[in-house]
Amino acid sequence: MRVVRGILGAVGVLVILGGGLVLLDLVDPSKYLGIVLWFAGALIIHDGIVAFGVFGVSLLLRRRFSGGSLAIIQGALVIAALFTAIVVPEILKQGIGTANPTLLPLDYGRNLMVFYVVLVALTAAVLVLNARLRRRVPTSHTADASQV
Amino acid sequence: MQRLLWELRRRLHAPSRNPRTAVVIGRLLGAAFLVCMATGLYSHFIQEPLPGMAFLTRPIWLYQVSQGIHISAGILCFPLIVAKLYAVFPELFQIPPVKGPLGLLERGSIALFVASSLVQITIGLLNTYQWYALFPFPFRQTHFALSFVIIGSLALHIAIKLPVIRQYWFAANADVPMEREDDAAFQPVAGSIAPLRGVTGRVFAWIDKTPAPSTSRRSFFAVVGVAGAALVTLSAGQSFKVFDATNAFGPRKNGVGPSGLPINRTAKKADVVEAALSPDWRLTVLGSSVATLSRADLLALPQHTVELPIACVEGWSQMATWSGPRLRDIIDAVGGRPDATIRVQSLEQGSIYATSELPANFARDELTLVALTLNGDVLDIDHGYPARLIAPARPGVLQTKWLSSLEVLS
Repeated sequence: MRVVRGILGAVGVLVILGGGLVLLDLVDPSKYLGIVLWFAGALIIHDGIVAFGVFGVSLLLRRRFSGGSLAIIQGALVIAALFTAIVVPEILKQGIGTANPTLLPLDYGRNLMVFYVVLVALTAAVLVLNARLRRRVPTSHTADASQV
Repeated sequence: MQRLLWELRRRLHAPSRNPRTAVVIGRLLGAAFLVCMATGLYSHFIQEPLPGMAFLTRPIWLYQVSQGIHISAGILCFPLIVAKLYAVFPELFQIPPVKGPLGLLERGSIALFVASSLVQITIGLLNTYQWYALFPFPFRQTHFALSFVIIGSLALHIAIKLPVIRQYWFAANADVPMEREDDAAFQPVAGSIAPLRGVTGRVFAWIDKTPAPSTSRRSFFAVVGVAGAALVTLSAGQSFKVFDATNAFGPRKNGVGPSGLPINRTAKKADVVEAALSPDWRLTVLGSSVATLSRADLLALPQHTVELPIACVEGWSQMATWSGPRLRDIIDAVGGRPDATIRVQSLEQGSIYATSELPANFARDELTLVALTLNGDVLDIDHGYPARLIAPARPGVLQTKWLSSLEVLS
């Protein structure tokens, strides 16, 4: 395993360096700062903001919900956040204007609202289902929880 | 500070956050990265082939599907990377933050891996929206270079984590605790540490009193699965017809555009409107003899109808019906050798779209046309009127529009 790790690690470092050289070769030096800023931004947004945001939100949720419901609501929130992160830039760019009318031709704002509504409805349905199942077979839920 | 890290780490401990989850999600994310890399390199080299490289003309949807997979896998990386980062969240508060020079390298390599992956999928997504103004660097070159940084980081990451990966590869070991020294950090002797004071202490005390979340691994995977499936279902319609009916968020929509086909570069943007509409337009064909063909001359040649996709480098694509003379018939008329590469020139000047080269296997293909009609209509000016190239299994950027000349290269 040691040899495999050594080879894999060495190959990895070489490919990273290769990628760095390709970057320095293809991209104009005046653009380097922009790339560095984006890298720093990615780390700050993830490690500094999103990570603590998630920590905070899950704490607040814990206050209101527990057990299975908490997991379901957290899951729905994560999905909503993902779609928001992916679709909102699309809506903003559409607002700014596109090169031609065949690019970003759909009503993304309306579609996102419909998506939220469907998500809320499905989440509610799953919550109800979960509550019913738990009431019917209380033992199986406990078994389930201890199993994970 | 150390206490705070430890407390954060302990509170973040959840059943869904364990090495088995990290390994399962990591496998999927690693596979998605490799798929993106392979399909991305295919697109890169078909546009900028190295000497001796050859590309297939069949299946006709080869390029289309490869790029549809590229962007769909790229979109799938969003839920997967979020899941991966979530699964290893407590590692962010590792104690001590840096363990020696090797530890520094490890954390540094992880930071590079995370940052380059996040930047890569974000600029990839923004590229499909053509929102270039957001990043102050060239998209294509940066996306290309970062792909190597990411794959290299993946290899390095696997090398570092191999013992963990091996231990948790199979579900049977899922609940076996990990054998590592810092495990002790999770189980301090009861009462040996004074409780934290102040706001932090109160928050942590409150967390300890409230029931712990019971996010099981199974429900965690279910959320990731639902998110991924929903993203693909609601956006992959831009590349795959089967998802057209559910295309709610794709930046392109099947059937939207002149003659029911989307476009990327308009005649106006390419600054060719006048030249393209001029009655003096001629297609110059340079072989051992020279021919100048009007649109009427091209229409007088044997016409062929083919079904070929327009497949953009941005990943969207759509099938269309094209008709016009075969390229090889035109080349034969000027005495071009069958093994010759053909250079295709546009009326457009000074852009990556202005010219493309067709290796002999593409130039001789019976499906390669100088297209004059699209979906039964006279070719729209934004689709390349008076004549454009259409060939199988090639990216849209190489399907040169507003043709001005064809040249047989020796």
